[in-house]
Amino acid sequence: MNLLQEIWQSIVRRDSLSTDKGKSELVFLNVWLHIHPAKVKKENMKFRHSFYLGFITFFLFLILITTGIALMCYYRPYPPQAYQDMKDLQFVVFMGPFLRNMHRWAAHGMVVCVFLHMCRVFYTGSYKKPRQFNWVIGVFLLLLTLGLSFTGYLLPWDQLAYWAITVGTNIGSYAPLIGGQVRELLLGGHSVGEAALLRFYVLHVAVLPSLVILLTIVHFWRVRKDGGLSRPVWKLKPERETLVTIGAPAEAAPLTVKASTTKTYGLMEVVTGKPIFETVSAEEEEDTVFSFPYAFVREAVTLMATVTTIMVMSLFLNAPLEELANPAKTPNPAKAPWYFLGLQELVSHSALLGGVVAPALMVLARRPRDRKWVLWLFTIFVVANLVLIVIGTFFRGPGWALVPPWVHVVGGAE
Amino acid sequence: MNRRTFFKLSWGTVGLAALVSAIGVSLAAVVRFLMPSVFYEPPQAFKIGTPGDFAFGAPQFLVEEKIYVFHDRDKGFSVASAVCTHLGCTVAHFQSDEKFHCPCHGSVFAADGSVQHGPAPRALDWFEVTLARDGQLRVDKNKVVPPTYRLMV
Repeated sequence: MNLLQEIWQSIVRRDSLSTDKGKSELVFLNVWLHIHPAKVKKENMKFRHSFYLGFITFFLFLILITTGIALMCYYRPYPPQAYQDMKDLQFVVFMGPFLRNMHRWAAHGMVVCVFLHMCRVFYTGSYKKPRQFNWVIGVFLLLLTLGLSFTGYLLPWDQLAYWAITVGTNIGSYAPLIGGQVRELLLGGHSVGEAALLRFYVLHVAVLPSLVILLTIVHFWRVRKDGGLSRPVWKLKPERETLVTIGAPAEAAPLTVKASTTKTYGLMEVVTGKPIFETVSAEEEEDTVFSFPYAFVREAVTLMATVTTIMVMSLFLNAPLEELANPAKTPNPAKAPWYFLGLQELVSHSALLGGVVAPALMVLARRPRDRKWVLWLFTIFVVANLVLIVIGTFFRGPGWALVPPWVHVVGGAE
Repeated sequence: MNRRTFFKLSWGTVGLAALVSAIGVSLAAVVRFLMPSVFYEPPQAFKIGTPGDFAFGAPQFLVEEKIYVFHDRDKGFSVASAVCTHLGCTVAHFQSDEKFHCPCHGSVFAADGSVQHGPAPRALDWFEVTLARDGQLRVDKNKVVPPTYRLMV
């Protein structure tokens, strides 16, 4: 009995809840409670405020990690075994198709949700000061998500995978100066082959997930440190004059350190004057609620809804698997993964437009003074990309000819 | 400049230089590490068989090598790349119009490989073909030749 108690004490190292110390330690010593702020604004918890897209994205990533690790148990990243393993997963492994479907649909969902999340952040102006840094982290997370999806696309080693990566990496090689070299470095050769499969596998299961986890930690941390989710201007109340400052009060005499006059000391965690980060405004009591249970419950429901949606999708929709990759036979038409079809559509008209101009515009489009223009630019970019993706996905037939999806082409030109 | 400042500066410079070069060398090493020293790919130069293996007229498509071998009764041998210059799809040679058609984005290449239609940025490559000592035809993909190149056997 004593032993059980001791084990429990080693896990929950707080004092009894009957004391004030124990009550506060309940939060301080629990990692889940600790990474949340103690209180969150009511406004920010409304579903319509953010559509919980960031959380959904994160939960999809959790699904991807768990199903991905399960799939790794039955996968060898080497042609043609890779394809045999996919067949095994499809027909032999218990729950194999279900796990693969979950991984597939969660991956597509993550690309969609990251994109929608970005749109929400953009249209609410949440990328503005003081959240610019976190916006940049978010852009990197978007790129990493696309990278994860793209590297995963090759792993089944079927015709779909092989040609999507061939076309996709060739789009990349249109990038000026280094495009071609980067492609060869990525593929570990001159064309998509066994070296490319192994490299994509390493990137997919080790390099990119680690980077995503690292940046996600920073991203979440910065959301808190930048003052939580943004709110509409008209919801902001004038800050009261009474600022609670942590550290030495502003009017106090500067902290004097008696030390040698010939040496310089770098002291961390010693603050003179106003501290930089934790300037806590005296938040009106009626505007906030405790994170536990209000935010926790919403997060848990979002998690369950996300997992349920992906599971139901995986019951009814099967991830595609075509015949074994055949470098000699290009399927007609050969398409990049759907989120690159906008680029492919541009490249199909002009290599310069799709490979250089469009990506450069995305990077260089800095904000002009008038926000109206930025909104228009962003909206045009989003709509154009969506239209091109829809055209590329549904309206392109053999020879990249315009074919409506309701027309069935029998045996296109090989 | 007194002695102390001098040493501070010099050690600082040396230290900074060492740090920068260490990072630089490490980065260069990583990039070089990722460049394979050996490619486990089909060789770029290879033999494709004796001249007698190739009939006159319609070109023969070699699947593994992704090349078209033309054998003209009067002019001799020429070898065209079957890789589209646009996004790397394999082009098909149609006997009906004697042109190359790319299935991916509809690029069309004339009989001499030049772009006639579609998004392809440049003409198809033609590779050097020579006669090896053992009487076999040898194609070298590293050596791109003008479309007028012919090997008469």
